[in-house]
Amino acid sequence: MADFNINVRGVGSVDVIDLHGYLDAHTAPDLENAFNRLINDGKYKVVVNFDHLKYISSAGLGVFMAYVETMRDNKGDIKFSNMKENVYNIFDLLGFPMLYEFFEKEHEAVNKFTD
Amino acid sequence: MISYLDNIDSAKKMIYAFYALGVLFVFKVIYPAVSDTNITLWVLNELIVFTSFFVLSFSFDEYLGSKSNYPITIILTAGILTGLLFVIVSVISVIFAEDVSYFDSAGVISNIVITLFSFLIAASGIFILMAFKGLFYLRQKKDPASFYYTMIIFFILSGISTSLKEIDAGMNYVHDAIFVVTILLILVNSVRVAWIAFLLKKQKITLLGISIIICALSGITFSSTLSGSVFYEILFRFSPGLTNILNLIMIYGCIYFGVVFFTALFHLPTAEAFDRKAQEVSSMMDLGKLITQVFDFRELAETITTTTTKVSNSDAAWLVLQNSEALDLVSVNGIGYLEADALANAVCNTENRDLTEPVILAPAALRNYQSKNPNPNFYKSLSVAPLKVHGKVSGYLFAARSRDVPYDEEDKKAISAFADYAALAVENAKLIQESIEKERMEKELDVAREIQYKILPRETPKCETLDISALFIPAFEVGGDYYDFFCLGDKKLGFVIADVSGKGISAAFVMAEVKGIFESLSQLNLRPAEILRRVNEILKKSLDKKTFVTAIYGIIDTNTGILNFSRAGHTPTLIRQNGTVQKLTPPGLGLGFDGGINFNDSIKELEIKLNFNDIVILYTDGITESQNELNEEFGLNRLEKILEEDNSASIDRLSNKIMTEVTTFSSGKSQHDDITLVIFKWISKN
Repeated sequence: MADFNINVRGVGSVDVIDLHGYLDAHTAPDLENAFNRLINDGKYKVVVNFDHLKYISSAGLGVFMAYVETMRDNKGDIKFSNMKENVYNIFDLLGFPMLYEFFEKEHEAVNKFTD
Repeated sequence: MISYLDNIDSAKKMIYAFYALGVLFVFKVIYPAVSDTNITLWVLNELIVFTSFFVLSFSFDEYLGSKSNYPITIILTAGILTGLLFVIVSVISVIFAEDVSYFDSAGVISNIVITLFSFLIAASGIFILMAFKGLFYLRQKKDPASFYYTMIIFFILSGISTSLKEIDAGMNYVHDAIFVVTILLILVNSVRVAWIAFLLKKQKITLLGISIIICALSGITFSSTLSGSVFYEILFRFSPGLTNILNLIMIYGCIYFGVVFFTALFHLPTAEAFDRKAQEVSSMMDLGKLITQVFDFRELAETITTTTTKVSNSDAAWLVLQNSEALDLVSVNGIGYLEADALANAVCNTENRDLTEPVILAPAALRNYQSKNPNPNFYKSLSVAPLKVHGKVSGYLFAARSRDVPYDEEDKKAISAFADYAALAVENAKLIQESIEKERMEKELDVAREIQYKILPRETPKCETLDISALFIPAFEVGGDYYDFFCLGDKKLGFVIADVSGKGISAAFVMAEVKGIFESLSQLNLRPAEILRRVNEILKKSLDKKTFVTAIYGIIDTNTGILNFSRAGHTPTLIRQNGTVQKLTPPGLGLGFDGGINFNDSIKELEIKLNFNDIVILYTDGITESQNELNEEFGLNRLEKILEEDNSASIDRLSNKIMTEVTTFSSGKSQHDDITLVIFKWISKN
């Protein structure tokens, strides 16, 4: 099975989720768990770093839709950074840029929260 | 000769023995008694006697060999024959008293009677000897044959030396020497009584009784056949050698059963423990067999509690399984359901220690639990053993005693072993259940896949100005691809292609819903963008947050070749006009997203005028995202290239070409998503 890894780290008041490998229907629950833990801890400002993500399927995309509302209701957000072009294209086709903020660099996304 | 006699079948052995005895009988009628006056006759007599009884011994041996697993049967038979021998000896002694001279003048009839008597006695003696052989071989791991046969040879030598002694008194020392060696051999062979250890306690008690009787009878018979007695005289006339052997057999019987008696006596105190261990081992073996044969766990649980009660000497045993929250009482033995349940819960909830290892609860601790019990049946000792599979506790096996004998470490081990078996059975039952479940699921999936096929149009619409080709290849699991065509009147053709996020049954359900929505909305003759907006309104309410649908809805005017379509997050549409391929990606969010911004505003409509030979390709990401072994994707570029270079006569050919390329590309990897491919070609020249 394709491998997938999640690492969550705090950068100031923001939490950054690093995604590694393949995010599909089988690995999506791992990401859901990570979001659930953040919500349980009352952390709603999240940047997802896509630097090491190789593949994302539709089930993986759905995860962000499922949690963004909760984050925004609690004065937080999910922002994306370091997305490679092929991954961005998938987000783009679905119209994600209309719903989310995308950043070239992680610190830009983090700064957007703290500004 | 010995091996020859051993190898022939039993019927033949009997016949040979019968012939030999017949010859002996006739000989005996003619020459009733041996006498030292005629040496030749004496030797002949001994030869015939020895040979015939030797042959007879093989028949006995075969009979006893078939009983070798039932030592008590062999001993009983030997005992009865010893008794018979004793009775004959006593009767003869009483009838003929000391009147030996009677035989010297006896007629033919009395000769025959005496001969038959001797036959009976000799046969019994030989049988007893063979019975000893059977016992001797019992449970012997090493080959003890040499000892036994040496003894038999000395028996025979002793018999022959008797004759020597009688004929020539000078040979007396030979007879004595052989006699001493024989007695020594008897002693050596008599200590081979290991088989007694394997008897059950009851059998040992029986053996105790029989062995003392046989020992005594052999002793008495021996003493009354000593030289000088009537009996001795009678037998001596029959065969001096055989008389001696018979004496030796009696000595052997006396010594052997004396040893057996004392051995059985000393084994008696440990007999019960031995019995229990044996029972434990055999019930373990039975259980092991049952586990592979019985699929019904409850039935197996009954057996486990019953055997646990019996083997661990308990008054009650019960088995509970640990479900996610509660304890589930599966089987009880010797205790009521309510009481067992209450006790199990009390122990598992109150016991602070983790019950991951077997535990014995002392009376003091037990009283605590039982006081909470509405109907306390004060058990004095309780043993709890966890059912562990892969280090996880799946339940507990309880055993309780109401007698004042607390469980010891041995009991704990035994109960724990039964718990292990129970754990194995639980696991086994679970696996079987799972495989049945899986089979059922697979059948359901087949049905779902069939329904999915039926939802899709059976054939593409026929149109003079437009060629239409549609292809759907499901992945192994049911998926969420959908395409359809709608006749909208006024020569207008509506079409839709959609892809539900995710896979499996849930996606297939959404797909069915999507089909219903498009089917009914298409009839309203609305603009494509408006249709998608309305679809979104409906889906937003029914889909969960992480599920979405991408779709393209369009209308082709088959009169004019005007194509209007809108896209909701779906893959780009490819169009080839005048040999140039273009990607058409009008803006539009996926359906079912409710991200706070207005879906309605996001969606735009595109209008294209189709000309002769223009080709439009709609597809789902099953094509572009199909992967090769290096996890590379087929990608949109490859698809564009195929379309650009295509000069196929028909779009069905083009469709085939695309699928061939995709299949070749992803060969070696299983298709992981549904593939849908819809192609339009405008074939009207106006």
